[in-house]
Amino acid sequence: MTTYIIRRLLVTIPVLFGIILVVFIVGRLLPGDPCHILLGERASNAVCAAFNHDFGYDRPVLQQFGDYLSALSHGDLGRSLRTNLPVGDLLISRLPMTVELSFYALLFATIVGILLGVLSAYRRNSAVDVVTMAIANLGVSIPVFVLGLLFAFLFAIVLKDTFFALPPAGRLTAGVSVVPLAERWGLTGYAGPVRAIVDFVSNMYTFNALLSFQWGLLADGLRHLILPAVALGTIPLAIIARITRSSLLEVLGLDYVRTARAKGLAESAVVRKHGLPNAMLPVVTIIGLQVGGLLAGAVLTETIFGLAGVGRALYDAITSHDFAVIQGFVFVISVGFLLVNLLVDISYAYLDPRIRLS
Amino acid sequence: MTRPSGRLPRFATLFAGVVLVAAACTPAASTAPTGAPPTTGQTQGASAEPFDGTSFPQTAIDCSNRPKDYTGQISQIVAVDRLTVEFHLCDADVSFLSKLAFASSEIQDSDWLKAHAPDKSYVRNPNGTGPYMLKEWVEGDHVTLEANPNYWGDAPKAKTVVIRWSTEAASRLQELQAGTVDGIDNVGTDDFATVQGDSNLQLKEREALNVLYLGFNVDQAPWNNEKVREAVAMGIDRARIAANFYPAGSEAAKYFTPCAIPAACGGSEWPAFDAGKAKQMLTDAGFDFSKTYNFHYRTKVRSYLPSPTEVATDIQSQFKDNLGINIKLVVEKDDTFLSDSSLGKFPMILLGWGADYPDVTDFLDIFFGTGADKAFGTHFPDIEQLLTQGKTQPSVSDREATYGKVNDLLVQHVPMIPLVHGGSATAWKADVQGAHSSPIGSEYLAVMTPGDRDQLVWMQNSEPSGLYCGDETDGDALRICEQIFDSLYTYEVGGLKTIPSLATSCDPSTDGKVYTCHLKDGVKFAQGGTLDANDVVLSFQVQIDAGDPLHTGNLPGQWYNQYLFGGCLNAEPATCDPIAPASPAPS
Amino acid sequence: MSSVASPADLIADQLATARPASLWRDTIANVLRQRNAQIGLVVLAILVFFAVFADQLAAFGPDDVLLGHEDGVKRLTAPCVHLLGCAPTQVEHFFGLDGNARDEFSRVIHGARISLWIGFVTVGFAIVIGALIGLVAGYAEGVLDTVLMRTMDVILVFPSLLLAIAIVAALGPSLLNAQIAIGIVAIPIYARVMRASVLTVKENGFVTASRALGEGAAGLIFRRILPNAVTPIIVTGTLGIATAVLEVAALSFLGLGAQPPLAEWGSMIGLDRKYLFTAPHLILFPGIFLSMTVFGFNLLGDGLRDALDPRLNR
Repeated sequence: MTTYIIRRLLVTIPVLFGIILVVFIVGRLLPGDPCHILLGERASNAVCAAFNHDFGYDRPVLQQFGDYLSALSHGDLGRSLRTNLPVGDLLISRLPMTVELSFYALLFATIVGILLGVLSAYRRNSAVDVVTMAIANLGVSIPVFVLGLLFAFLFAIVLKDTFFALPPAGRLTAGVSVVPLAERWGLTGYAGPVRAIVDFVSNMYTFNALLSFQWGLLADGLRHLILPAVALGTIPLAIIARITRSSLLEVLGLDYVRTARAKGLAESAVVRKHGLPNAMLPVVTIIGLQVGGLLAGAVLTETIFGLAGVGRALYDAITSHDFAVIQGFVFVISVGFLLVNLLVDISYAYLDPRIRLS
Repeated sequence: MTRPSGRLPRFATLFAGVVLVAAACTPAASTAPTGAPPTTGQTQGASAEPFDGTSFPQTAIDCSNRPKDYTGQISQIVAVDRLTVEFHLCDADVSFLSKLAFASSEIQDSDWLKAHAPDKSYVRNPNGTGPYMLKEWVEGDHVTLEANPNYWGDAPKAKTVVIRWSTEAASRLQELQAGTVDGIDNVGTDDFATVQGDSNLQLKEREALNVLYLGFNVDQAPWNNEKVREAVAMGIDRARIAANFYPAGSEAAKYFTPCAIPAACGGSEWPAFDAGKAKQMLTDAGFDFSKTYNFHYRTKVRSYLPSPTEVATDIQSQFKDNLGINIKLVVEKDDTFLSDSSLGKFPMILLGWGADYPDVTDFLDIFFGTGADKAFGTHFPDIEQLLTQGKTQPSVSDREATYGKVNDLLVQHVPMIPLVHGGSATAWKADVQGAHSSPIGSEYLAVMTPGDRDQLVWMQNSEPSGLYCGDETDGDALRICEQIFDSLYTYEVGGLKTIPSLATSCDPSTDGKVYTCHLKDGVKFAQGGTLDANDVVLSFQVQIDAGDPLHTGNLPGQWYNQYLFGGCLNAEPATCDPIAPASPAPS
Repeated sequence: MSSVASPADLIADQLATARPASLWRDTIANVLRQRNAQIGLVVLAILVFFAVFADQLAAFGPDDVLLGHEDGVKRLTAPCVHLLGCAPTQVEHFFGLDGNARDEFSRVIHGARISLWIGFVTVGFAIVIGALIGLVAGYAEGVLDTVLMRTMDVILVFPSLLLAIAIVAALGPSLLNAQIAIGIVAIPIYARVMRASVLTVKENGFVTASRALGEGAAGLIFRRILPNAVTPIIVTGTLGIATAVLEVAALSFLGLGAQPPLAEWGSMIGLDRKYLFTAPHLILFPGIFLSMTVFGFNLLGDGLRDALDPRLNR
């Protein structure tokens, strides 16, 4: 198993380097010059020359890449061209929002998706199955931005002043403020990676609320997350439901399950004891694969629900050519991605020894 | 400067200063208030500490023999005594007080600048004298302000102000309707009726101090033919655009400059819509109807252009229906459109202009004066000459006559077609008392009472990029600065009239070239420091002197006051005057 | 080359006869028996009908601004269908009018033409390039294979929409560039499918034999490998059209794809977002059509997969 993990890690390294290279090249390919974009629309050439010198854009591209790599090896992601803030700080303030949103979206998608899938397989070819699968098929077909807009309209305007009213945008009700965990735990004097992790968790407001027992804040944060999480989670939900159903049906058709049935075990018990555990392998894989889709969906979801997450920040950075932010964000996201893929592969290998040997 | 916590080393320099710049100092003991407590043994027994008034620049600029590259209107700013500042100008300036009232002329504490400008920390940690102070700024999400306990004026009505943002008018209205915010900026054109029809909301319209125009590069075919341009001016139904795509309070433009501005509307009006005649003129001019011509615009929402794509689409359809001309819409990137168009790159554009201060020069001179950019191609010398003349005429009636002639020439030459003066509006919950709109976007949140809540939530278009407004140009940043900082003058609530703020008065000399400003006494900065004349001098100095070590800002190159006051000093290595429309970027 | 039938040709004939015309008929019948495929085909047939007859069905051109053409016309008018009780005095506009007083129904059904075109062209582009890469990689093996497939991995690591946004930002926003971006992002899928097919066919005894008997590379590719890869490519491609339509619409929604005044659904929704409260029909109708198109291709793709390639059926 260890050799498999090491081999898998080694394969990841060139991909990682490829990512850094691709991000750097794409960043340099963006047309227009960052100076005019960032310094206002009538910045003179002299100002731009000073700006480019300041950020090192007047150096040869190869040297810039070298500088970038060496900074990266020190954990320095550079400073945003637009806000002048360190990209690392920006990540700590933006990424938690997206992770939190994706977490709830995936949680919703997994729980409801597996439930629907099991129900559908259990009652295969019944009306329930047909309706569930039709909904699943529709679910993967409605664009996030259409669904999000319709949700916002329905829950914030049509259902306004009812029990079901939900806020159309934002992370918290205005005026509700969040005390950073570092402050609460007396860590303000500290710096470094531990502090960064604490700040990261702290910026996931619902987790912050949980860790500091602020139930009101938790409820407020969750209320704001429901609409975006459901909108974002609908496509993964549909995919998970379909995979669960087909995987379960396949397993239920296998010999040992038939044997179990022949023993006179009730169908529900067959599904629960013999079907589900064995059908979960592809489901786990597919859940892992949804992470990438969630991040892409987050760009649209955050746009519609006015959330300051990483998707929106990256979109803004790309369209305003903030190289430093693009590079830093994409690098970190890709590393996270590779890690998730790695985890999925490893868990897969753990569950299915044949893969390890191939 | 006269912070009570002053320490010994400062007094050493202070006395050295007295000797060195004695000429600039008036006997401090006689003017300083008795209220100021002595801070060290050195001044023990004296009724006040001595005042070391600074000047910027050290030696007044000789306006008839200016330093190379200095185009500015400021000759010298002098702290005469602790509470008196003199502004020496090169020429009389009727808009001087308006410029002093502008957010970029906010007064900073000298000590704060010295401590926080070098590392730029003042960009995110402002220290002002205004009704509010910054409580927190959650990047990307919101800014929270709380009442400044030391505020010199009436205490702000709402204890806390939360500022949020969304670029989408629909989202802003949605939040207002859902009750999560108290007020929103820039109500969508088609939502005016929605707001007015909702008894829970109130609409506050903004006066249309702007202009949308269709600009030609008069050097590029086929628009290099004056007759063709004239025909187009006649063939575009401006009223249809104003009526369909603009909110109430907007009007089809009769002149380039909005008529609310004094002396703006004399001379010829733009010709009335007449499609038949226009088409005939084009045919007579031998216009090539077989080609498709490009029409460049950007999708940035401005109050002069609340629905960019819809207006561009309608103009495209009008060209086709009224004139038989096919045009293609080309969306330009926000970031490059202005600089590219200022170089005359585009044959035909849709763009607009909003007033910085209410004077004709802020419209006509900027577009058609000697310093104007090349967006419309080669300048018209007859117009330039009249504008140079108008700028120096003190009498209102003389100016009216001159600008009337300019308007005649604009109709004759048609470098552009003014289309619409666009109104806009803010919307508020009905229970917000004191809700208002300002024609230049300076809404004062401190005078608003949000019903029985002690917090006012305001939602604008965008997040500020910084809260040091010496180098911010975006109205969304300037508005927040105006809650935190004060300038010597301010605009009256919801209006354009300038009224004293940190100054009790600023009095012009008879030739209008010297303004003497008297400061309010005992004004405290929210995070420590007391206002004095040196704060005023340094606040302007760090903006206009590009060589000053405290001239740092957020990002280089957005110094509004260099533009308002015409230029900057010590521009090494040439970092001056980037936003001034008068100095187009060299190609 | 030579008039004498080579052994390779003989094997080829054998392979060809292994797929007689009746098999294709069976396959089609098999597809038509799938409920998913049936529904998908019906949905797509309706859309194709709209797309083909858009000019006849629509009362107006998609870009016709009705200001100045219709008396008392007002922007953003709500839908009016006389059969559903709309006052007969009012002019009939099934889906209402948009922000420029254009007939929304005309725009939406012309949008069907654009979106179908987007789907086929984008996926076609991705298939051609992807298949080429997959072929080369699978056929060559060794270093070239590793380099090509690792490159594909790198592309796959990026969230597709973000990579597409970056590509469009580099190329400049336009419908064509959005299609190129989404096409590029989809290439690895087809490269992988193709490479897998190549490897499978290569291990097939017949092909080894035919190569041993001297068939050229081109012949091998076009007569042995490609026919074998057709099925998975068709299945993946059909599902890919759904994704492509969705993602191009997403780019257009963000203002990076189709440019005004083109009646593309994503761009229409993006531009008319601001009318969500005053004229929700401008979001609803393009939204429904967009969803139905994606729905149709998804179902058809599922049906094809179930019918053609049981191995993929998981």
